[in-house]
Amino acid sequence: MSLSRRHMLWTGGGIVAALAFPCRAALPAEVVDIEMRGVDGGARVWFDPVGIRIHSGQTVRWTNHDVGNAHTATAYHPANFSRTRRIPASATSWDTEYLLPGEAFSVTLQAPGVYDYYCVPHEHAGMVGRIIVGQPGSAGYGEGDLPEVALRGFPAVTDIMANGVIRSAAGR
Amino acid sequence: MRNALALAAALLFGGATVALAHGPDGSVATSPPKAPYQQVSKLVKLPDFIPGLGQLFVDPATLPAGPFVAYDRDGKLVSTIYMIPIAHLNPDKTFDNLAVPGKLVDHVDVYYNAGHPGVAVPHAHIVLWHVPVSGEARVAK
Repeated sequence: MSLSRRHMLWTGGGIVAALAFPCRAALPAEVVDIEMRGVDGGARVWFDPVGIRIHSGQTVRWTNHDVGNAHTATAYHPANFSRTRRIPASATSWDTEYLLPGEAFSVTLQAPGVYDYYCVPHEHAGMVGRIIVGQPGSAGYGEGDLPEVALRGFPAVTDIMANGVIRSAAGR
Repeated sequence: MRNALALAAALLFGGATVALAHGPDGSVATSPPKAPYQQVSKLVKLPDFIPGLGQLFVDPATLPAGPFVAYDRDGKLVSTIYMIPIAHLNPDKTFDNLAVPGKLVDHVDVYYNAGHPGVAVPHAHIVLWHVPVSGEARVAK
């Protein structure tokens, strides 16, 4: 896995390449963009898409489009605040740390399986996301140490496999 | 949730009423306020000016409730804000004698916030505005 962090200018909503093809996983060469979003006043926050299937070796990039808040995309892994692991055992964890508006962070995922992640200040508001690299594998992660609202936020593995991309309903 | 927010509002309305006859403390009238207030964006990673709130300062010893004091882009005090975690609105927790450094209160907004660095749990924002409703535009963007 490789990581990179950079500052971005506002792109007017930045078209997500993968979203143009909602019925399949993104092509291997494409960078998959995931937006961090929130409403004015901060009552609702979310990742969009909230679930996506990608290929091994593909890069995921999170960008904060929420003008009034900071967000993270943090893997559920003991290396991050001693959290229960919810990424493949052979995968390396990541933590974007706080991204201010306009900032972005990229991760390239290699190991097949299900990757669950969350936003540190918003886990208790249900701001979580799920990525499937290739095939999901057989074992589920159980409830672990997650709050119920976070567990409810993950799209079903079957839905991600069937649709490729699951858009968030939070901002609609 | 509505009950929780209503309770939070009731807690704060009581405190606000007694302060209606006075202007702001001189220590907080303009940005930056005097110690023990500190700039929120230097305490945690947040934008220095938050649309809808303004530039925030807080005495860290009072977290998470505050008061936070908020300023417009000209450095003038616009509101005093309390941030009350929803989980703390329960029979075993009270918030008593919260300071109202801005003193004169024009109106109050209460709304849910999903969280942010510094108060990383769902909570209620209780905003005591020291400017008229039309003055909220000073911190809108």
